[in-house]
Amino acid sequence: MDFTLSDEQTQMQESVRDYLESEGGIELARRQMDGEDVVGEVWDGLAEMDYPALSVPLEYGGLGDDLLYLSLLFEEAGRVALPGPLPETLGFTVPLLAELGTDEQKGQFLPAIADGDLRASVALYDDATESLPEAIRMEAEPTDDGYRLDGTKTLVPYAESVDRVVVPARTRQDTGYGGITLFFVDPAAAEAEQLDTLDKTRPLYELTFDGVEVSGARLGPVDGGGDALERAIDRLNVSMCAMLVGGADEAVDRSVEYGKQREQFDKPIGQFQAVKHRIADMWLDTEAARSLTYYAAWAIANDEEDARRAVSAATAYCTEHCGELFEDDIFNHGATGYTWDHDGHIFLKQAKTWANLLGSPTEHRRRIADIRL
Amino acid sequence: MNFDYTDEQEAFRREIREWYEENLPDGWIDGERDLPDDEDEREQFLREWQRKLHEGGWAAIHWPEEYGGRDASLMQQLIYQQEKARVNPPPERSEIGVDLVGPAIEGFGTEEQKERYLPKILSGEELWCIGYSEPDVGSDLASLQCKAVDEGDHFRINGQKIWTTHAHKADWCYMFTRTDNSGPKHHGITALIVDMDQEGVTTDRIRQITDEREFNQVYFDDATTPKENVLNEVDEGWEVAMRQLSFERISLSQSLDLERRFDELVEFCKNETRGGTPLVEDPHVREKLAEFDTRIQAAKLTYFRNVSKQMNGDLGAEASFGKLYDSEIAADLHRFRVKLGGPKAALWGDDSPNGAAKDSLANISIRIGGGTSDIQRNIIGERVLGLPKGDQE
Ligand SMILES: Cc1cc2nc3c(=O)[nH]c(=O)nc-3n(C[C@H](O)[C@H](O)[C@H](O)COP(=O)(O)OP(=O)(O)OC[C@H]3O[C@@H](n4cnc5c(N)ncnc54)[C@H](O)[C@@H]3O)c2cc1C
Ligand SMILES: Cc1cc2nc3c(=O)[nH]c(=O)nc-3n(C[C@H](O)[C@H](O)[C@H](O)COP(=O)(O)OP(=O)(O)OC[C@H]3O[C@@H](n4cnc5c(N)ncnc54)[C@H](O)[C@@H]3O)c2cc1C
Repeated sequence: MDFTLSDEQTQMQESVRDYLESEGGIELARRQMDGEDVVGEVWDGLAEMDYPALSVPLEYGGLGDDLLYLSLLFEEAGRVALPGPLPETLGFTVPLLAELGTDEQKGQFLPAIADGDLRASVALYDDATESLPEAIRMEAEPTDDGYRLDGTKTLVPYAESVDRVVVPARTRQDTGYGGITLFFVDPAAAEAEQLDTLDKTRPLYELTFDGVEVSGARLGPVDGGGDALERAIDRLNVSMCAMLVGGADEAVDRSVEYGKQREQFDKPIGQFQAVKHRIADMWLDTEAARSLTYYAAWAIANDEEDARRAVSAATAYCTEHCGELFEDDIFNHGATGYTWDHDGHIFLKQAKTWANLLGSPTEHRRRIADIRL
Repeated sequence: MNFDYTDEQEAFRREIREWYEENLPDGWIDGERDLPDDEDEREQFLREWQRKLHEGGWAAIHWPEEYGGRDASLMQQLIYQQEKARVNPPPERSEIGVDLVGPAIEGFGTEEQKERYLPKILSGEELWCIGYSEPDVGSDLASLQCKAVDEGDHFRINGQKIWTTHAHKADWCYMFTRTDNSGPKHHGITALIVDMDQEGVTTDRIRQITDEREFNQVYFDDATTPKENVLNEVDEGWEVAMRQLSFERISLSQSLDLERRFDELVEFCKNETRGGTPLVEDPHVREKLAEFDTRIQAAKLTYFRNVSKQMNGDLGAEASFGKLYDSEIAADLHRFRVKLGGPKAALWGDDSPNGAAKDSLANISIRIGGGTSDIQRNIIGERVLGLPKGDQE
């Protein structure tokens, strides 16, 4: 047993960090928040570095690395709250395509993703009040040469900056993950409306499919896409956890720097134990969140028996504890932390968004209890 | 990164498991046997267990072979701890000696000291206590006052120690004394090995909140110890103490033990009913249990991560993680156990549901002994993260 990163992994992580810093670091997120669409620019840069190829299988022009390796990329992306459907494309879509795609689908999409020519997203929710999988209601009607999609998907990330979205629909009346069929469709066929979101680095859309006919878009078996979808959602969760861990690590660094530098009552505030102990606790939670996330990524990549529990543990812990930790970082910066100019809120808003997106902490704990008790 | 164990490691695990199965006191594994209540009988029982451990070669696997250990790798130590957590064997009579004193003697002692003291720690023939704390000195170890005066071939010791675990039955005290008051307070501290069986040493047992009497006040009135009992150089005991604290934090990592306690709690929740429904079916209980499961996993995985780092030669201050993080989980877990006990939680001893009442008290001491949780946060803030030192230093 060895729970350390290899030299190669550490080097990869360092080179991603250097690269993202050289591209402007968190300024990219700020430009996106200000209404610019930087996704294309970010993606072209990432493609030049071969990062989109990371999880694509070797035979489709990728590097064939597993989710653990990918998580290290996400961690660095999270450190600068990098805009772009990175978790959606690399964490969610690529493994799903590799698992369910026909040879033709794989040949068409995977090399394109590896080359940076294709980005993807996920349209999971039909209803923004209910959590998955109950929220999946859209029905897909078989037609002569494909299916017809009718209905509205909401909370779709980056719908206008991607080339394809994974759309789960029900082809059989059922509950949970039963009766679900997956489709891989061009979002341009739907009508997109951008939603006003808490986290403005990651725009969300409502996509209305008004009797959209799709052919050749079905991904995997009819009525039987649920299991693969559940596993893909697990991978998406781990991807987001990794981004939160990167942000958390950054928040600890920022609090430490400010604690050394900012003086009040003739002392650096980091000398006051109220501040010092808070930062120590932030560090503790970051280390714990990181351990859970690495393990979940490893467990998925190696098909371990406790992978589902590990994912839910990481998700519940990261969304909840990193959320609190980002608030503490803002607090450590006093009123400066409360400003738009200070970066703390960017991370906090992400964490708050994700805390409910792919299952709330409570739902994940229920899942753990069902597995464990 | 890889969580699989090699065949060799699995073989080592089997060896430990088989040894425990053959050697644990009858009925221990099935929970039918507990420590004797009577103090003398208990002492006898523990002495016997220590002897068995020693004969089996399991008393201190991390020690060098030449002093009776197995030169065990960190991985083997981890596997040993896992197996130990699984069977929850009787406590080791020589634990203080093995985990805390031994490594100090091994790291700082002369050849003569090693040969004289280490084997008898292992066999359990000689018991040790540790004298850091004084009535005015706990967290602020460097301001200790207990005095040792150089009188040629020996030191003369005067002063008082307190909270000294097992002092009343210990043969030796490994203690820190003041030998020079003129310099900065970290200088002029000397680590001494002192014979407890002499006229100048008296112990006075203190009753703890658990109703046990494990720790003591210890008075030194013109007690003496020969010069050859100095550990490291005279006036250079601070270095020993600092190294010591890092041993202590590693040995105090209890995440593996937490896992077993959690499993016991789950069993309890399956067997106990409220209003005809097992506790384990209550949604609130389920969510709390899942939360503990997650925190314990985080503790265990981070512990594995730290051990892995150490195996790769990276001895970070991260050892502070376990002591603080685990004891906070343990404290919450025990509070929850008491809550689940219902009205019966008013009872003490064997009638207390699941032994929760006493455990929840015992756990408080883990947050105090070996450096309080506050002190751990200082250490993390200052040594791991590089925040400015507090006023006290
Ligand atoms: C929404 C808002 C509106 C405001 N409106 C006004 C206004 O109208 N007029 C006005 O004058 N001010 C206003 N303020 C400023 C407010 O009073 C200060 O932000 C506050 O006093 C903290 O000071 P600071 O921001 O300089 O933080 P700092 O004093 O720099 O504190 C930074 C961190 O260090 C901690 N810290 C500092 N000293 C100690 C210590 N001795 N012990 C322990 N921890 C310590 C703090 O708790 C904080 O976490 C406003 C602030 C906000 C957020
Ligand atoms: C069961 C048990 C067994 C023990 N066994 C031994 C033993 O065998 N040998 C031995 O020498 N000692 C032993 N101790 C003593 C233990 O090491 C001390 O209790 C511990 O170091 C704390 O010291 P103190 O009790 O004097 O508390 P204090 O140092 O007086 O602390 C009181 C409170 O102030 C806080 N505090 C103190 N300094 C700081 C600071 N700088 N920053 C923030 N907060 C601070 C503490 O966290 C604590 O909450 C034992 C204690 C217990 C409970």
